Amino acid sequence: MTKSTTEPIWIRCALIGTAIFFLALFLFMPMAAVFIGALKKGLVVFLQSLIEPDTLASVRLTLLVAAITVPLNTVFGVAAAWAITKFNFRGKHVLLTLIDIPFTVSPVISGMIFVLLFGAQSALGAWLIACDIKIIFAVPGIVIATMFVTFPFVARELIPLMQSQGIEEEEASLTLGAGAWQTFFRVTLPNIKWSLLYGVVLTNARAMGEFGAVSVVSGHIRGATNTMPLQVEILYNEYNFAAAFAVSSILTMLALVTLAAKRFIEWKSVVNCHSRSSS
Amino acid sequence: MSIEVQNITKIFGDFTALKDVSLHIPAGELTALLGPSGSGKTTLLRIISGLEVPDAGTVFFHGEDMNGTHARDRKVGFVFQHYALFRHMSVYDNVAFGLEVLPRKVKPRKKEIREKVHQLLSLVQLDRLGGRFPSQLSGGQRQRVALARALAVEPKVLLLDEPFGSLDARVRRELRHWLRKLHDEIHVTSVFVTHDQEEALEVADRVVVMNEGRIEQVGTPDDVYHHPATPFVYNFLGNVNLFHARVEGGKAYFGDAVFDLPQGQMQHDTSSAMIYVRPHLLDITRESSGKNDLKARIIYINMAGPVVKIELLSARRDSIQVEISQEHFERLRLKKHEEVYVRPKELKVFTQDYSI
Repeated sequence: MTKSTTEPIWIRCALIGTAIFFLALFLFMPMAAVFIGALKKGLVVFLQSLIEPDTLASVRLTLLVAAITVPLNTVFGVAAAWAITKFNFRGKHVLLTLIDIPFTVSPVISGMIFVLLFGAQSALGAWLIACDIKIIFAVPGIVIATMFVTFPFVARELIPLMQSQGIEEEEASLTLGAGAWQTFFRVTLPNIKWSLLYGVVLTNARAMGEFGAVSVVSGHIRGATNTMPLQVEILYNEYNFAAAFAVSSILTMLALVTLAAKRFIEWKSVVNCHSRSSS
Repeated sequence: MSIEVQNITKIFGDFTALKDVSLHIPAGELTALLGPSGSGKTTLLRIISGLEVPDAGTVFFHGEDMNGTHARDRKVGFVFQHYALFRHMSVYDNVAFGLEVLPRKVKPRKKEIREKVHQLLSLVQLDRLGGRFPSQLSGGQRQRVALARALAVEPKVLLLDEPFGSLDARVRRELRHWLRKLHDEIHVTSVFVTHDQEEALEVADRVVVMNEGRIEQVGTPDDVYHHPATPFVYNFLGNVNLFHARVEGGKAYFGDAVFDLPQGQMQHDTSSAMIYVRPHLLDITRESSGKNDLKARIIYINMAGPVVKIELLSARRDSIQVEISQEHFERLRLKKHEEVYVRPKELKVFTQDYSI
């Protein structure tokens, strides 16, 4: 590197120092606080607060919600990104704008929308009650609210990449006699798999961590409609700090594990690529 | 297999890419679609391949209407300007792709696919690079992989979109000679798009010159170069000097100069004729013969290259380009700012309405 392209040493130090300072203040210290708070009263209290039935129920519910919303939103995100980047159709820009709505609307408002839509005071809600179908203050409502909040992640991750990749490879596949599904699975999907995985990781993180929208539709029924973030709030409001931090630490660990998994798979793919190309 | 294009029109928004274009491409020939950017040549190629749907008109392969046939069923090999290789697949997998996606009933066995791919890779001289990925190849190698991949499905028609467009000059020249040789070996009906007149004239059996969504002329390279049908073709195929002249009684008047017109050209008188002369068809003399020449002053001489390029300015301040051989230049001992006479050895007259 030549002198003309590098900044003076004090500028570099100042920039790096600022970055580290902000990371420490807003990321490392809070994370450390979570684990310290969780283990403050010892490992026994930590474990006991985790196997408490209501907490276990909240973990189960969170996993269930993620297990439903992540695959559905992955399919939706891929389909939306595919349609938007590979085809020309009327209303393409409208669709692009609609996908962003969950990003622009406050999660609490999203929750409110579903309460108004499916709640007892609406016509649809009255009909659902007549049919004995529970959506609001039940698991289906939580799933719907979580899906709404998380549906842009995969599409938003894929659209810029697929736009930059263009459609020439798909056209080539077509002229070589491949059908639409063959083209998708053999050409499109392998080209986007890392971005897709990253989108899925983000979706999963948000699905497990969503508070606002879920809080409105859940009804806070202990052991039934409380997800982990809601359980943390309840425990915290009851001054049960050790248990609140214990559940928080699980959520934090989940985040760390997903990040580690992403790094590992990326590293693995690079290694595979190299060994294949050198053979 | 022959290709017949009938009355094709294609409109993108408010831009008309092709206007009622008809064209016959004979079987087994290598045809070039030549034209500047925006002339519709790539659109025509994509319509033949089925990647683009025409707004009007029909494409026939060997007399069979192709309009209802999807691109994947047309059995065309398409080579893209930017290669469009599958970036996540090795060279081998790229070439094998067309065979791997065949329906189970007609798909060849693994061993046959392997043999076929190796045979194709050696045809394009890349047999040892099967394990590489596209990103590890040079531009010329990528283009050859793209060609091998297109040939793997044994296409009845091979279509190439600016196949050498993004390569540097030397590789370009090498590859186009190689393409010509390859075509002589496999004789599949081929159409390639180019904006490079040298490439079209050198490689193709037949050149289709296009401009603004229309076909200007179809002919052998020799034909279009020596007998251009329109001023556009004359202009596009090489450098040219243009003189606006008045025609009267078989003679062209250009300022003080008078030129005899060749037999058979320009029967009627007009005040707006255009005379085209190629730079190498102009000669320079010191003395005027009083007829068929034009006084001009030398303003620039460039001796680098096989011919000497001289730029002159006429009395009417028209710029004139002349190319003469090095030997001739040395004999004349021309100097800058010298007044000389320019004499056309051959000229071509067009009137505004394009008739000859």
